[in-house]
Amino acid sequence: MTRTGPGVLLIVTAALTGVLCCSPALAANPLPDEASPPAAMVWTAPDQEAAKKRAAEVVPFVLAVMDECRLCRQQRLRDMGLSVQDQSESYSLLDSPIIRETEDHYGPVRFMHAKHAGVTKDCALCHHYRPLDEAASETVRCSACHQEPFQKDHPERLGLKAAYHQQCMGCHREMDKGPIDCRGCHRKNVPDHKDHLQLVEGAGPFQVTAECLRCHKPAGEDMLKSAHWLWKGPSPYTLDHRKDVELGKATIATNNF
Amino acid sequence: MGLNRRNFFKLVTAAGAAVAGSDGAAHAWQSRAPSDSVGCLVDLTRCIGCRKCEEACNRVNRLPPPDRAFEDLTLLDKKRRPDERTYTVVNRHVSGEIDARDQLVPTFVKLQCMHCQDPACASACIVGALTKKENGTVHYDVSKCIGCRYCMVACPFEIPAYEYHDPITPRVMKCTFCYERVHSENKLPGCAEICPVEAITFGRRSDLIDAARQRIKKNPGRYIDHVYGEKEVGGTSWIYLSGVSFERVGFNALPETPIPRLAESIQHALFSYLWSPIVLFGMLGGVMWASKDKRDRSGNGKKGGGQ
Repeated sequence: MTRTGPGVLLIVTAALTGVLCCSPALAANPLPDEASPPAAMVWTAPDQEAAKKRAAEVVPFVLAVMDECRLCRQQRLRDMGLSVQDQSESYSLLDSPIIRETEDHYGPVRFMHAKHAGVTKDCALCHHYRPLDEAASETVRCSACHQEPFQKDHPERLGLKAAYHQQCMGCHREMDKGPIDCRGCHRKNVPDHKDHLQLVEGAGPFQVTAECLRCHKPAGEDMLKSAHWLWKGPSPYTLDHRKDVELGKATIATNNF
Repeated sequence: MGLNRRNFFKLVTAAGAAVAGSDGAAHAWQSRAPSDSVGCLVDLTRCIGCRKCEEACNRVNRLPPPDRAFEDLTLLDKKRRPDERTYTVVNRHVSGEIDARDQLVPTFVKLQCMHCQDPACASACIVGALTKKENGTVHYDVSKCIGCRYCMVACPFEIPAYEYHDPITPRVMKCTFCYERVHSENKLPGCAEICPVEAITFGRRSDLIDAARQRIKKNPGRYIDHVYGEKEVGGTSWIYLSGVSFERVGFNALPETPIPRLAESIQHALFSYLWSPIVLFGMLGGVMWASKDKRDRSGNGKKGGGQ
């Protein structure tokens, strides 16, 4: 309950402000009132807000790391008594201003930290180096070392985006588990179609479909191979009559663009 | 007769060879590669063939929309080349290597203009539309281009393409190395910026060669000991690292001498101090003088028709 608190509070506040703002216009235009419930019903994870805040933080850059082999590191973590049970967060949002600066084609990944730690049972797999600074914590987040790509002082240190992708996809491929395609982890940020549409005012259904097909040509071709287009059958009322009629999208159905 | 046809050719060849030899030594061909150029290192072992670089290239350079979406990876089934609508393409090559699960390991190869240190296209260009910029870019200036397409013939990587479909204002099309973005706006090239796995590393060419050598040294099993483009055709701004031999993933084995070297040394040797035109016209004058002399004598009628 304490975890869901802020989220619920936020939604309630948002709804209240929405209603308050719209109330003068309510009598004239009931549309905002109808539009608000679906917005509130969009599911968000309980600690989404906290995760968002964490993701937006920029942590101090780690200049130097301790150079040790993965097995030594694994052993050291084990000796210190650090294990996968010690993590505080169930999931993290792999979102960062560093990536956002150049990239907004995909939504951030909701990374299930606890689940991955439980499956791999090895912190050193991802937390592969330790900051050389003694005061720093033993395991730091990826963005402490991996920040902007192609830094002059650290030529071989990957940028944050590449570090995520190489780590995640490399491991998924190696373990033959988990997605290795873009949409497997990311939600695509669909571009605003308002900028792309070239429709005249009052366009008919044929023009609208033609406009969609201008860019989404393969989608149209796929549709022509699907049951939605190919369904066909005799009309029961005309069966065994002199003029029996084959109904179907591709024959004489209405609503045929 | 002192100067018949055979003797004339002998004389010209001998004179030509003598002067070309001495002059060639005097004016040895010099590379005009910029010392502090930028480049890109493409690590073929990192590339995942997502075609995001093609998409970014298309967007950044405002190229015409593609026939098939950039998400459509079935395009990789066929080998493609950069053309007048695409500056860069990714091809999938299968070297025959098999991974732990009996799957063929693909190698994805991004192709684009290599931005040679001594570009053959710029050397072949008769109007200077193609130039090697100080930052390493081989830059194309459409306002100077006359459309002779010598650059397309000269390029050892067969990169420049031509807008044959446009009869009025055709252009030669090739990767611009995002010249405006890199030079003026201090940004990364579109492809290097979007690459999700940093298969394309952008930086100073000398640093990239060091980085490539480091990667080979640290992962000798992962890479073959060859940085393609470090020495090929005298060096290119785009260099490649691979896990399989470059010949098996579509790269041509090219000589280490810059392509313009031979043609330019011959040309410069021939035209230095304008000696060759002087010799040629001198020879022609000699021939004229000799034949005039002969006609005069035969015209006097003392010796009849022939000799």
